[in-house]
Amino acid sequence: MTTDTGHVTHEGPAPARGLRRVTAPGFLRAAWMAPLFFGIGLGLVVFFRRLAGWDPVFDWTIIVAVGALTTAPFGFLGGIGVFDYWLRYVSGAPTRPEDHSSHGARRWQDYFRVNTDHKVIGVQYLVTTFAFFIIGGLLAMFFRAELARPGLQYMDSQTYNGLVSAHAVLMIFLFIIPAFAGLANFVVPLMLGAPDMAFPRLNALSFWLLPIAGIMFISSFLAPGGAFAAGWTGYPSLASGAPLGQTIFNLGVQWAGASSILTALNFLVTIITMRAPGMTFWRMPLLVWANFTTSLLVVIATPFIAGSQFFVLFDRVLHTNFFNPSEGGYVLGYQHIFWFYSHPAVYIMMLPGFGIVSEVIAVFSRKPIFGYRLMALSLMGILVLGFSVWAHHMFVAGMAPWLRVPMMVSTLLIAVPTGIKIFSWLATMWEGRLHFNTPMLFALGFISMFVLGGLSGIYLGSVPIDIHASDTYFIVAHIHYVLFGGSVLTIFAGIYYWFPKMTGRMYNERLGKVHFWLTFVSFNLTFFPMHWLGLRGMPRRVSDYADRFGDLNLVITISSFALGASTVVFFYNIITSWARGPIAVSNPWRSMTLEWQVSSPPPIFNFDEIPQVVGGPYEYGVPGARHAVMSGGAAGALQETHP
Amino acid sequence: MRRGSILRMVTIGVVAGVVTALVAVLVPWLPTSASEEMDRIEAVFWFTTVISIVIFALVTAVLVYMVVKFRASPDDESDGPPIHGHTGLEIAWTAFPAAIVTAIAIVSAVALSRNGDAGTNPVRVRVVAQQFAWKFEYPGAGVTSGRLVLPVGRSTELELGSVDVIHSFWVPEFGQKSDAVPGIKTRLVITPTRLGTFPVICTELCGLGHATMRTEVQVVQQKEFDAWLAEQKAGAGAGGALFVAQGCGACHALAAAGTDAQVGPSLDGVAKAAATAGLPVAEFVRESILEPDKVIAAGYSKGVMPGTFAGLPKDQLEALVAFVVGGKGS
Repeated sequence: MTTDTGHVTHEGPAPARGLRRVTAPGFLRAAWMAPLFFGIGLGLVVFFRRLAGWDPVFDWTIIVAVGALTTAPFGFLGGIGVFDYWLRYVSGAPTRPEDHSSHGARRWQDYFRVNTDHKVIGVQYLVTTFAFFIIGGLLAMFFRAELARPGLQYMDSQTYNGLVSAHAVLMIFLFIIPAFAGLANFVVPLMLGAPDMAFPRLNALSFWLLPIAGIMFISSFLAPGGAFAAGWTGYPSLASGAPLGQTIFNLGVQWAGASSILTALNFLVTIITMRAPGMTFWRMPLLVWANFTTSLLVVIATPFIAGSQFFVLFDRVLHTNFFNPSEGGYVLGYQHIFWFYSHPAVYIMMLPGFGIVSEVIAVFSRKPIFGYRLMALSLMGILVLGFSVWAHHMFVAGMAPWLRVPMMVSTLLIAVPTGIKIFSWLATMWEGRLHFNTPMLFALGFISMFVLGGLSGIYLGSVPIDIHASDTYFIVAHIHYVLFGGSVLTIFAGIYYWFPKMTGRMYNERLGKVHFWLTFVSFNLTFFPMHWLGLRGMPRRVSDYADRFGDLNLVITISSFALGASTVVFFYNIITSWARGPIAVSNPWRSMTLEWQVSSPPPIFNFDEIPQVVGGPYEYGVPGARHAVMSGGAAGALQETHP
Repeated sequence: MRRGSILRMVTIGVVAGVVTALVAVLVPWLPTSASEEMDRIEAVFWFTTVISIVIFALVTAVLVYMVVKFRASPDDESDGPPIHGHTGLEIAWTAFPAAIVTAIAIVSAVALSRNGDAGTNPVRVRVVAQQFAWKFEYPGAGVTSGRLVLPVGRSTELELGSVDVIHSFWVPEFGQKSDAVPGIKTRLVITPTRLGTFPVICTELCGLGHATMRTEVQVVQQKEFDAWLAEQKAGAGAGGALFVAQGCGACHALAAAGTDAQVGPSLDGVAKAAATAGLPVAEFVRESILEPDKVIAAGYSKGVMPGTFAGLPKDQLEALVAFVVGGKGS
């Protein structure tokens, strides 16, 4: 097979030698440009403070905010080379729009540089996010160790609050949201029959913004006064007066948010403009629909959390009074803005998982998706309703009382489109030929856990029950049933499902099943008892608690360690299979969607010829049905293709 | 679909339903109610629980049945029947959940509206939250206390405020909860139905001492309540009453005040600490109230004790200092 079509450069950049290595894009250049830009930021602060006659001239809280958290990351990005093409273009240097010199991976080193290939970026995302998953999980096990007994044993309150806050922030902003973005990055262009994303260079920038945010969040533990410790929600007034770590949170969120927004824009343009001929919206796989809806949510909602954190930052650094009641500020204003993002964010963390589960269930049931159009429309229903429910996080916050009932009604109504999805998945399986490979196990585990998370959501949607259960361990249980039992299980399903496509190798099925059962059991043992703890009187975010809750907390701590240990099986399976698993055929699951009609891993430019889409993506059992036609044969007609 | 399959599925559903119903009934999920509001919350809770059990049993029945019945052997390469949908079913599972959640919404809205009704003659209490203590003011009687005392069988209307960050007032047995927010006033209605002493818990992360921001609420007969108010009023202004009213005892142990909290250093050893700091005891205590971060006892952190006590009127400050100094046992 050849990827050379004659008019584009496909060779990777020639490795620079000698002194040129210092100026060539890469980690070496980033290593001196980041400190240089920090110096520029520091210089700006000192210059202006000197000019204005403010004392002290060296105010480190400002220097950190400007130099370390704003300019130095730009130096890093510039050094690594994400801006090179654009800078050449604006400075009038010769550029070629079809310059593919940074596209694709021919050697393993190509994964460690700026790469514009959506498949490489997808893998970069996933490896990075799973690294943060490990860190976030370890943080949780630290504070679970503290909670094993009442009283304080291993840490002070500041450390505890910092661990809780950083665990949530890493899992949300550095694992669940970007892990879905990574999976979609790899799969969506392939599913559309496109050679890449619409804006490959923007795609690379989106990825490299992410580790910046992650490193900031983790490094906040080294800040004087400790890590940000006002919870992942960072409510003022507590956040307004918190030590330097909170500034790191305020700005770290900006980098993660920018990454999200840019990726979402890229998905939207890709899905709207780069579908293969014949790929109408109603022939798109539900994973594409899910990422389309998610991207709309991200683009509309994420600027709100950016705004909320800027307001807090300004209150902290510039002495504004947005949330300072003694100067006319309105404390609850923050919560309204924050939740206007952070409730839709729950769907940002859930809808891509819905897409993954739809793919897995159709393929492993060997049946068309039941009610495909209603499945797509219910995603849109969740999108619209998702923007009308934010204040259900504030039923006890002291907001306008009349707002409670309307927000309760819209919250409960979300059960309707999510119910449609659950029932349609079940109907898809009905009379199917069910194959319980690991992705299917995770998909079914997801359905059962998500039903429980959805039902506890109904309790919390009902205002009187929420007033009792709000801010207790019941909330902790609910959020983990939704974000672990929901999102994380679907991420695992997606990783196992597309592992052969990404790596060209098969994972170990037996270890995959062991991983599933260990995770499923220890997850329930960890989080189900929390419902009871919360309703009986244990508030959340406490380092110390009433003695009568001691025994159950010990059980939870032990289970959480088992849950942590279960991921060891996953990482062992993934790493060893990636290195020396059996070679995968191009379509091991006999799927119809387009990503399985090319080799595993796919060619550098995905398709040797653009596929012609002629039917729906899930026509299993329909005699002679095809999703697409390629000259090499009928794509999606289920013939076994070998690499 | 044959009758045998339906029967099997119904059996699985009934088993799942009975098991979950037993879990729901045999485990005491809610604290024993001590207020009319909690009674209504319980009613909504059980209404929702019955619906949840039915839905859970239904999904489990279908899922387990299919996993057993439609399992394909690994070498089976056939496809299932190409069923693309069924409009009637799809309308049904859109309409039924909509009807169910509407019912839950109506029941909830009724309970909510009744839970916010304080009636015509409520006891009025102002709740002032601060890091990390509660203060309860009875404006009618001119009494301030560090613990909440309420008469049984009569509605109380709490007006909550905060002097620093957001806190949240919760008594699990009462079921009612509200944030105390700086800059605004929030309200909460509680109608105790049971005599006893229950915990008051802060449920909104409010800083380093959040986990220890606890006090008690005592529900007594109206007669005892009136007597308590009179007694408090008589003792108001004295150092001991101030120690309680200002919430000092929420964090500090002091034998004379009968407190044993361990958030802050014990005040029973204050003379020794003063000697270490090289100050007269009274001066050291005064300085520690006005500038808590100036001298920090070993094993404790800066920034935990609020600086807001600097706003105490001079005579109250002196009374408090005298009480703490005298209370050390000298």
